[in-house]
Amino acid sequence: MALANVLGFKSNNEFDRSLQCQKTDNNIDEFCPTLNIENIAQFITLPPYADPAKYLKMVNEKVDRVKIQFLKGTTTLAFKFRNGVIVAVDSRATAGGFIASGEVKKVIEINPYLLGTMAGGAADCAFWERVLARHCRIYELRNKEKISVAAASKILANMIFEYRGMGLSMGTMIVGWDKRGPGLYMVSDDGERISDNIFSVGSGSIYAYSILDAGYKYEMSTVDAIDLARRAIVHAAHRDAASGNIVRIYHMKETGWEKIEEKDTNDYMYQYRDEKTMNF
Amino acid sequence: MGDDILSYNGGVALAMKGKECIAIACDKRYGVQNRTIATNFTKIFQYSDHCFVSFCGLATDVQTVSERLKFRTNLYELREQRKLKPNVLYNMLTNLLYERRFGPYFVFALVVGLDPKTGETFIYDSDNIGAVSDNVNLATVGTASEYIFGLGELFFKPNMNADELFEATSQALLNGVDRDSASGWGAVVYVIEKDKITVRELKGRQD
Repeated sequence: MALANVLGFKSNNEFDRSLQCQKTDNNIDEFCPTLNIENIAQFITLPPYADPAKYLKMVNEKVDRVKIQFLKGTTTLAFKFRNGVIVAVDSRATAGGFIASGEVKKVIEINPYLLGTMAGGAADCAFWERVLARHCRIYELRNKEKISVAAASKILANMIFEYRGMGLSMGTMIVGWDKRGPGLYMVSDDGERISDNIFSVGSGSIYAYSILDAGYKYEMSTVDAIDLARRAIVHAAHRDAASGNIVRIYHMKETGWEKIEEKDTNDYMYQYRDEKTMNF
Repeated sequence: MGDDILSYNGGVALAMKGKECIAIACDKRYGVQNRTIATNFTKIFQYSDHCFVSFCGLATDVQTVSERLKFRTNLYELREQRKLKPNVLYNMLTNLLYERRFGPYFVFALVVGLDPKTGETFIYDSDNIGAVSDNVNLATVGTASEYIFGLGELFFKPNMNADELFEATSQALLNGVDRDSASGWGAVVYVIEKDKITVRELKGRQD
C-alpha cells in the first residue's frame, strides 16, 4: 500500500479502491481524498466542534466528575548495554479491577530492526506505531538506507504532538540499532522524547527500576542482561496488581531484533523463591 | 481500580456446603490499590468451635468489625455460659452492621457454621449494612466475587464429601482470582466437619 502510493501505481482492483489508496476513477473519488499521512486528521474523526482540544480536556482531567482515566497498568522496560538493547514487557491488560487479558503483545515489531513498546492505550500505541512503520519504510525506499532510531522516534513524537491535550495515552519506548549503535528513546503522549540507557514505563515501573538500578552494568554479558530484565519484570508482576501473566523478552542486536523468550512470570516467581532471591 | 472504596484493598472469600461439612476460603492479599503490600492477610476469623466469619472489603474495617464482633461474642459466652450457634452469630453481626446504617462499615460478610450434633450446615452472607440472607449452598464476597460465583456454581454438587468439597472450593477460588487484579497471591481453605477442622494453604499465582 505504501509502495503503491509512493510510486503512483494505479490499480483497477477493488481492494485498492476501497482503501482509497489511489484514484482509479476520477469521477468516483471526487468526494474521497486519498489517504496520506499529511491529511490523516481528516480520516480520524474528531468531535464536530471548533476546538476539540478544549472540550476533550474535560474528559481527561477531573472536571464535573467526568473523567476517563487511562491508567498505564503495565510494566515495560528497556535498557542499553554493551551488546545492544534488551526489551522486556509483561502481558496483562486490566480494565479497572478486571483482568481483561493475560496475553497482550506489548512489544510492537515495527520492522526487523525497530521495536516499540506499548503502555497506556493499546489502540493508540498500536495505531501510531503502525503509521510510524509506514514512514520508516518510505524513508528507507527514498534514501536507500535504514532510518535512524533518533529520526524514527522524532517522527512519532511529532505526530503525537499534533494531538497533545486530546487524550491520547501512550508511554512507548522506541528501540533500534543504527549506525550510531544501539538506540533507545522514550516517547510519551505529552510530547516528551528522551534518550537514556535505562527506561521503564507503567504502573509496575517503580518495582522494575529498583531491580534494574541494583543490577545494571553497561558491560554486562547478554545472559546477565536477559536475567536482569526477566527478574525486573517478575518482581514488578508480583508487587503490581496491574502487571503479570507472561514475560516477553527481546534482544536488539546489530543484525536486528531477536525474540528471546515468552514464559509465565508465576513459574519464575516460585523458582526465585526456591533460590531464595525472592520471598513471599 | 478507580475510586471504589470496596476495591481499595481487594480480597475475596467463598463458602460452599457439603454433606455435614462446610468449606470457607479466602485469598491472602493485602494491597493498596495497585500496590501489593503483604501476602499473608487472611480474612477468615473463628468465633466458636464450628463458626467462622469472613469479611471482605476495606482492610481497616475487616480488622475493626472482626474485633468488635469478637468483643460481643466473648460477652455472650460469658453471660450465657455456652458457645455460639451460627444463626445467633449471624444475627449479632447483622445488628452490629445495621447500628452503623448511616455511616457504614465497608465490609461484606460471610458467616458459616456447622452444628456438631446434627451435622446441619449454615452459610449466610451479608452486605455492609446487615441485609440478611437465607441459608444458601454457595456464597462469595469481595472484588472477584462474580468470577468465583460462576466457577462455584459450575463445580458445586449437592452432598459432596469433605475431599470433593475442598477440591471444588479451591478450584473455584484459585481460578476466579486470576481474573481479578486485586485478589489472589495465595489462598487458605478451612474445611469444617463434625469432628475436625482442616486448614490448608493453597499455592496460587503470585502476580
